[in-house]
Amino acid sequence: MTNTYKPGLSRRSFLASTGAFGAASMAFPNMAVSQDGTILTLRSYSDLQILDPAFRLSLPEDDIIRAIFPPLIEPVSGDVWEWKTVAAASIEQLDDLTIAFTLKDNMGFTDGYGEVTADDVKFSIERMADPANESPYAGDWAALKEVEVKDRLSGLIHLTNKFVPLWTTTLPTPASCILSRRAVDEIGGKIETVPVAQSGQYLLHEWVPKQRTILKRNPDWKHEPGGFDEIHIIPIEDPATAERGFEAGDLDYTWTSVSSLPRLKENPPAGSVVLEKPSLAYVWLGLNQDNEALKDIRIRRAIQHAIDRQTVVDAAYFGAAAVGNGIIAPGVPGSRDSVTYDYDPDKARALLAEAGAEGLSVTLDILNQSERLTAAQVIQANLADVGIACEIKQNDSGTFWSLGSKDGDYFMDLQLVLSRFSMQPDPSWATVWFTPEQVGVWNWERFDNAEYKELHDQGLVESDPARRDEMYKRMQALMDESGCYVFLTHEVVGAIHKDTIEPGLKPNGESLLSDFRPA
Amino acid sequence: MLNYAVKRLGLSVAIVSLAMFLLFCMIYLVPGDPASVALGPRATEAMKEAMRVRMGLDQPVWVQFWNFFTGAWTGDLGEEVLSGRPVLDVVLEQLPYTLVLIAGGISWSVALGIPLGCWAAINRGSFADRLVGILSVAVIAVPSFVVAIYALLIFAVTLQWLPAIGAGEPGDVGDQLVHLILPSLAVGLGWVGYIARMVRASMLEVLEASHIRTARAFGLPERLITYRYALTIAILPTITLLGIGIGQMLSSAVFAEIVFARPGVGKLVYDAILTRNFPLVTGAVLVTTVIFVLLNLIADLIVGALDPRVRSSF
Amino acid sequence: MRRLLREPLGLFGLSLVLLVILGAVFADLLTQWDPTRINPRDRFLGPSAAHLLGTDQLGRDLFSRVLHGGRIALYVALVSTAISLAIGIVLGLIAGYGPRWLDNLMILLFDAMKSFPTVMLALALVTITGPSLTSVILVVILVNVPGYARIVRTQTIAIKSSEFVTAAQSMGASTARILRVHIMPNVIGPLVILASMDIPVVIAIEAGMSFLGLGVRPPTPSWGSILNDGFGQIRETPWIAIAGGLPIIIITLGFTFLGETLRDVFDPRLKGRG
Repeated sequence: MTNTYKPGLSRRSFLASTGAFGAASMAFPNMAVSQDGTILTLRSYSDLQILDPAFRLSLPEDDIIRAIFPPLIEPVSGDVWEWKTVAAASIEQLDDLTIAFTLKDNMGFTDGYGEVTADDVKFSIERMADPANESPYAGDWAALKEVEVKDRLSGLIHLTNKFVPLWTTTLPTPASCILSRRAVDEIGGKIETVPVAQSGQYLLHEWVPKQRTILKRNPDWKHEPGGFDEIHIIPIEDPATAERGFEAGDLDYTWTSVSSLPRLKENPPAGSVVLEKPSLAYVWLGLNQDNEALKDIRIRRAIQHAIDRQTVVDAAYFGAAAVGNGIIAPGVPGSRDSVTYDYDPDKARALLAEAGAEGLSVTLDILNQSERLTAAQVIQANLADVGIACEIKQNDSGTFWSLGSKDGDYFMDLQLVLSRFSMQPDPSWATVWFTPEQVGVWNWERFDNAEYKELHDQGLVESDPARRDEMYKRMQALMDESGCYVFLTHEVVGAIHKDTIEPGLKPNGESLLSDFRPA
Repeated sequence: MLNYAVKRLGLSVAIVSLAMFLLFCMIYLVPGDPASVALGPRATEAMKEAMRVRMGLDQPVWVQFWNFFTGAWTGDLGEEVLSGRPVLDVVLEQLPYTLVLIAGGISWSVALGIPLGCWAAINRGSFADRLVGILSVAVIAVPSFVVAIYALLIFAVTLQWLPAIGAGEPGDVGDQLVHLILPSLAVGLGWVGYIARMVRASMLEVLEASHIRTARAFGLPERLITYRYALTIAILPTITLLGIGIGQMLSSAVFAEIVFARPGVGKLVYDAILTRNFPLVTGAVLVTTVIFVLLNLIADLIVGALDPRVRSSF
Repeated sequence: MRRLLREPLGLFGLSLVLLVILGAVFADLLTQWDPTRINPRDRFLGPSAAHLLGTDQLGRDLFSRVLHGGRIALYVALVSTAISLAIGIVLGLIAGYGPRWLDNLMILLFDAMKSFPTVMLALALVTITGPSLTSVILVVILVNVPGYARIVRTQTIAIKSSEFVTAAQSMGASTARILRVHIMPNVIGPLVILASMDIPVVIAIEAGMSFLGLGVRPPTPSWGSILNDGFGQIRETPWIAIAGGLPIIIITLGFTFLGETLRDVFDPRLKGRG
């Protein structure tokens, strides 16, 4: 599950892309002249922990994985959602249930594992889909029947049913990254922090934990090379520290915090360019419905009515972000204009009195980041206003992202949590995390609704945009009714880079490492 | 001298041992499984199991302490939970930055304190003397993290004369020195006051002493008297003072590292606490205690070598 | 007392201290703003007639937060000093009056406690206990007790063998009576002076720990946490940092000047303690 995607997507561009993805694309991107001896230094918001595409934990790993294990296709950098081939020489959808692909010739694995073949594609895709492996991303290949190998470099992907998000959220992501069957079997079936059999545009050269990750151009990559010779990735959790690092000249590119954007846009540091991109991510306050104190739905609905969402968002982001009304951002089918509850402290108090919950006291867990803390303090004040005492607990990212996990021991004690998930340009990529299967995985609110699950499954095969729109709106309404969610915002993406480099970014502001070039 | 040195060394060893004992107590007195307490919440079950075996939790407490104790003295402080690297390695990597920072702090204290103290002593009773006196007290009073933030605010953010972050390019000594100016000022400013007062006081003592009067009677120039004789004597208590000051400077260094985002042991411990990396916290605290005691020991030995009075009174 | 008032520095110090104390005590009268009242639309305002020190990132009035922060500072100072004194006196008396081996052991203990750099001690402790005001008080106590205990122990030993005490003992006076009548009065004086000189250090410890996020929890206004907010928002406005740091400077200067003067006036022997 990737946490903090911030995609930028306009209505126009999304509609354009749904058309474009249907067509076959055999275009080779223009060959760029390779640059020599250049180093790109950029910041990631967390250090790598797992480099296995099927078990990756965060966006920074996503970026590295796509650089060292090439996916079949990848998004094109820019403001429109299109894709280009990376490992595939050609790929096209023959009919609703069949996709034909041919790999580029002359791609080799490191460590002596030979040539990249269609069989490795079969292995990589099927292992992610295989329920026995328990990959959190199995949903990306939920419709997979099997991958058929036709010859050395080509094969067919067979689906059991139509799968609408295939070209938006499956193929252009690490879900199609190619691993070597032989190599992965030899190391026991799962890659941890040491990548085996890399074949991408870059190779992982060095990893100093918590300090830097160095990628170097793969000399054996015979096709379009990455823009920079070397890429240094520095993990810096706190965006404010990253901004200062950028100002100190230590970084060429970094995301900024949303709240710094107004200031940076007004006064950009010398020699730098400030970017703002619309975001697809979603931030919300989650309530654990299985926690003792929150079991009564009236209490949860009271909390929904107690939060002044406008003020929370305005305060946290210094006015740079707008209020969001769900998990699906504007521009994507299913986006809503409002939520089904309003800001009404009196109603909240009445509900609490009805439930006999005077003097209720709750804990709000947040990531220890300044925007979250500000938002949390407004929430704390809102709750105090209706008679709920709220204590704020800040967690570092390592602790935070395992709070709701059923493998830990906190998931039942978790009460309120302020969370943010990243997003891909298909609504199913938001709803999938709140299905019953995800309880104790990413569904920390433990929301369990059969109708929701059914709608989600239907959404994956429904190709009529209007019908889809209705379904996803209904799913979010169900989330409202459960009392487990207070939707806050979709944020925006802010980024800043030196004017000596040209960043390669998806429309949502996420990095395409190989597409960064010297300006 | 040897007697003194041995006794002093013995005291240092005793202090460090006691520090280890206290840390050990903290781990065991806190409710819960000691392995979990020692490793913190980020440890995996496998790590905790390994830790339980290492701690020998089935054995009597004093045996466990003995193992912990001997382990610590031989440099085995365990592994940190996030990357599995030995704690000692991680701490020693960061230690030089902190030591450099403290050295910088001492430089500021001495560079500002000694001249001020001298000047005050020479112009005793004048307005200048009173001013130095007040300022000395003032800089002692203000906490170092306030100095650090205001220095950052004034010189780095507003005036933009000096860098706000980091330790500078590795390998580029000039750049690193520039990055050192503000943080070490924050660390050393408090002790300017102490040193100024100490220098002033001992100089005053000495300036009246008999052999000085004799020198004057012989017609030696006043300046020579002041600087050669008086100052040399004033150095002694200054070293003692610095020995005590190093502990405080270490505390100040922690704040300076955090405010200026510099690498160092202070930042290491702080980050380790935020990420619940307990073995790193206890290991780093032990190492810094040892360093502190060591520096104190050296300072005391130097003073003991130079001043016989100290040796006999110990 | 009159001598104290005649020293200009002492007077200055005293007035600073009184300023802060009165500000803290009468905080509710001096400002109409609730220190935790959030008003995000009015964030980052500079000083004005309505907001004497401006507002912070949540629109909270800084002047009000500063005044209320004084309450935390003074609470910590008083409580921890009182407890430290109590424990220190007891330990010091035990060390001084008890057998030699106990004395040596306790001296070693005190020296070891003092050998921890304060912040390291605070960090190590908070790691285990978690951040809170109680942790701060605990740290302060651990830092201060050895110093007080040592003083008491020294005085106790000095007086223990004096004539008064031997005479009292020969008359059959109980140990408790000797402690109370002979030893305590001689010890109280220097202790009080030292304690008052330690108060700025105590306040600095609380502010420092809150600054690191290891002391009070939001939204409680401690000067240290205001300073922390100011540090984080330093590029948006300098006023939060100024508001947080100013009272710390004022009170530490005040108590230090006051303490120095007290010491000069009442007990110049302590001058060497540095």
